[in-house]
Amino acid sequence: MKLLVLLFALIACGEPRERGGVVLWHAYNGLERTALEETAARWNAEHPETPLTLIAVPYDSFADKLTSAVPHGNGPDLFIFNEDRIGSWAESGIIEPIEFWVDDALADRFTDQATRALAYRGSLWGLPVAVKSLVLYVRTDLVKQPPRTTNELLALAPAMKKRNGYALAYVNGNLYFHAPWLHGFGGSVMDDTGRLSISTAQAADAMAFARKLVADGVAPSEPESPMVATLFNEGKAATVISGPWFVTDIAKNTPWQVVTLPIVSETGKPAAPFLGVESILMSSQAHDKTAAFAVMSALTNDAAAITRAKVARQVVANPAAYADAAVARDPALHVFLAQLEQTVPTPKVPAMRTVWTPYENALGEVLAGRSTPSAALEKVVDEVKKFNK
Amino acid sequence: MIDLGRQMRDFVVVAILAILIATCAFVVVRNTELTSHQIALADRAIDTIHDSRAPSAHAVVVGPATASRKHPFLRKRQVFDRGIWRPLTDKQLYDMATRYERQGEIAELTADGRGLVVRCIDQPGLPSSRSCTSIAIAITEPAKPAPYPFLVLIGVLGLGAAIAAAGALIGRAGRAGMFAAIAVLAVPTMLWHAWIAASAILLLGGAVALAQRVALTDRIAAALVKNRTALSFLAPAAIAMFVLVATPFFIGIVLGFYDHHAGRWSFVGLSNFTEILSGSGRALDDPLNFWFILGVTVLWTIANVALHVTIGVSLALALSRKWIFGRGIFRMLFILPWAIPNYITALMWKGMFDEQYGAMNLMLHKAGFSGASWFHHWATSFGANVATNTWLGFPFMMVVALGALETIPKELYEAADVDGASAWQRFRHITLPHLRPALGPAVALGSIWTFNMFNVIYLVSAGKPNNSTNILVTDAYRWAFERNESYGMAAAYGTIIFLILLLWTVFGTRIVRSKEDA
Repeated sequence: MKLLVLLFALIACGEPRERGGVVLWHAYNGLERTALEETAARWNAEHPETPLTLIAVPYDSFADKLTSAVPHGNGPDLFIFNEDRIGSWAESGIIEPIEFWVDDALADRFTDQATRALAYRGSLWGLPVAVKSLVLYVRTDLVKQPPRTTNELLALAPAMKKRNGYALAYVNGNLYFHAPWLHGFGGSVMDDTGRLSISTAQAADAMAFARKLVADGVAPSEPESPMVATLFNEGKAATVISGPWFVTDIAKNTPWQVVTLPIVSETGKPAAPFLGVESILMSSQAHDKTAAFAVMSALTNDAAAITRAKVARQVVANPAAYADAAVARDPALHVFLAQLEQTVPTPKVPAMRTVWTPYENALGEVLAGRSTPSAALEKVVDEVKKFNK
Repeated sequence: MIDLGRQMRDFVVVAILAILIATCAFVVVRNTELTSHQIALADRAIDTIHDSRAPSAHAVVVGPATASRKHPFLRKRQVFDRGIWRPLTDKQLYDMATRYERQGEIAELTADGRGLVVRCIDQPGLPSSRSCTSIAIAITEPAKPAPYPFLVLIGVLGLGAAIAAAGALIGRAGRAGMFAAIAVLAVPTMLWHAWIAASAILLLGGAVALAQRVALTDRIAAALVKNRTALSFLAPAAIAMFVLVATPFFIGIVLGFYDHHAGRWSFVGLSNFTEILSGSGRALDDPLNFWFILGVTVLWTIANVALHVTIGVSLALALSRKWIFGRGIFRMLFILPWAIPNYITALMWKGMFDEQYGAMNLMLHKAGFSGASWFHHWATSFGANVATNTWLGFPFMMVVALGALETIPKELYEAADVDGASAWQRFRHITLPHLRPALGPAVALGSIWTFNMFNVIYLVSAGKPNNSTNILVTDAYRWAFERNESYGMAAAYGTIIFLILLLWTVFGTRIVRSKEDA
């Protein structure tokens, strides 16, 4: 009986919420966490009246924890997450629109691409912390001159074939990694209102190009990320399309550099990856929203951005940060910033989340030569429409 | 004749149930009344907004948003205040105007009990146009909901108790008294026009009067008193089962009748089920058709269980031979696949089936064959899944068979030897019949596990190629997490899977048992 009473007492208490402070959830670890903690410490030193508490939540369960906690008035005041969920979280009332507090001067802190990626249905939903996009990793011992066009990339193939390797390795069965070709050929997935533009001649051209890379032995067929890293480290892939996280996968003695993605020779357009923006978002149930916004603003100002770029080598969205001497010395950061100019925001309409898997299937069918691009794309449209009735 | 003590005991139990029903009804009625009252107030505030004689403190007019030229998503609004437009400084009003532009008119009760109405209004002097130029927002003061009617309920309870007692004392009117007493409890719900609750309470009264007639209440009370020790031991487990198993199960079944979209649930009746069972208009060979997936699932279960039993029993027979050197070590080695967490095994096998660097293709190359693109064809992809799950599943059957083999009396084999039975005859007529009682439940259990073996399918083939190797559980998962959070569809899938497995355990095990008897 005592046990039962204790149990009920525990349930009744739940999580006691401390008043007057701001709680922020993040999924960072390692250097990124250190950098964030440094900027948070600065806020706490200057604003003892609104203490900021950082809580690290594992990335895998982050979104689920949020969507179940916030509607019941629990959860954090602020959190850091990718922008791709903004659409569905805005529709279901999980996050708070913040444009009311933002003026032109504040928005000018960030590059346009980053803030535009955080806007949805006429409102702004977050302030950018870091941007992520794909770039081209090049092995400098195998490639004299980094390829500037896809034709130059293809020209690397014969030499690599002799080494029993590939000119390019990337996770070609995944829409995220296929997107540079899709946009480079002039294709797209959907517009901001969710109108589909999946099945177009341009998208079919891009798929045919991806198939050609595999059929001609320029790129391996449907490798997964660990395989891509192995190929690059073993010198069996001259170039790799991947994001900032790939740096940690490169073996110690591998000579490498990053460059922006090549221009698609067929169209003359640059290959444009999807833009990922990590941003601070506000819970619609935040206690003191004005104070929470002040924290958001402080954690994304230029000084905080410089700290994150220096400590964690994060690709920050504040152009002013790149004027800092220590940040300016990091050549990779500049390449990521340059690539940022040639990115396409990931559609934030909730329907986008139903596109990935059917598109992956279509890529699989086309890369294996079992389906024509146009037929495979028609099927994607069919699937996506069925899931979004 | 019903004595007073028993009558009061029955009345107290039923009255508690009746009060619970009445309380639910009261909360519903109170909330609807409060909502309509508060919304009407807010509505009236908007109607009188231009009436200078009755200026309303609660309603304001907000203008359309003007976007910043540099950043189109930065928009400002103005509020019409005492005859002039001035910048809007209240974020709540700003957000409500934005919400109106997105989803149209709003009329609702806020969480803190305020009535909220947002709708378009024509500004005097401005021509009314199709798009709304001015948005009227009215928020009332928060109102406290009506207090819980303790006095009414206590009064009704007292009256009911008196009637019940009177019924018992008068003698033959005991049951009628009980019904009348409960009926009195239904009076408040009738006054609130909560007809469902009222009829539920009346039915309850009728039921308990009937139960008294056949002395059911007495028997239940007697049984409870008699078994109180046993029941108190059962209670903790029963409570835990109710909270952890029965409740989620019940919620899961109910969710199957709802549709989830953008955080909102709406009741859709059986449409999730009809959509699934009709194959949602897809051809039968479409890998997303329910019947296709069910076919794959059944094939998957049969292939796996057959392999598990064959390999498990063969190994058990081999390892039961006393003369095999190092039997203990082999037994341990063969159980290892079972001891390793199955998702780790699944990931290892997925790596082995890699087209370029997987162990399978490397071995094929060494042997002079060309490697296969395992996940590009249905048969090889399905085969890779089956191989992985066979590796995971045979140790269980082996352990069960080994245990059963130990229990077979040696005398039977000796007698068979004397009769000159062949090795096959000994297996067929002695070993197999003795294995059956142990293997029957193991097969039933193994088939249920395999039917729902999410990890292997999701991690090894991931449905490749083109979703065609998905089984029902992995498709249910995709409905919940990859197809616009269609939790309703996923729950309906769960219910269907449950029904299939229920049918299988009820009828399938009966088939096994009838074979045993034969």
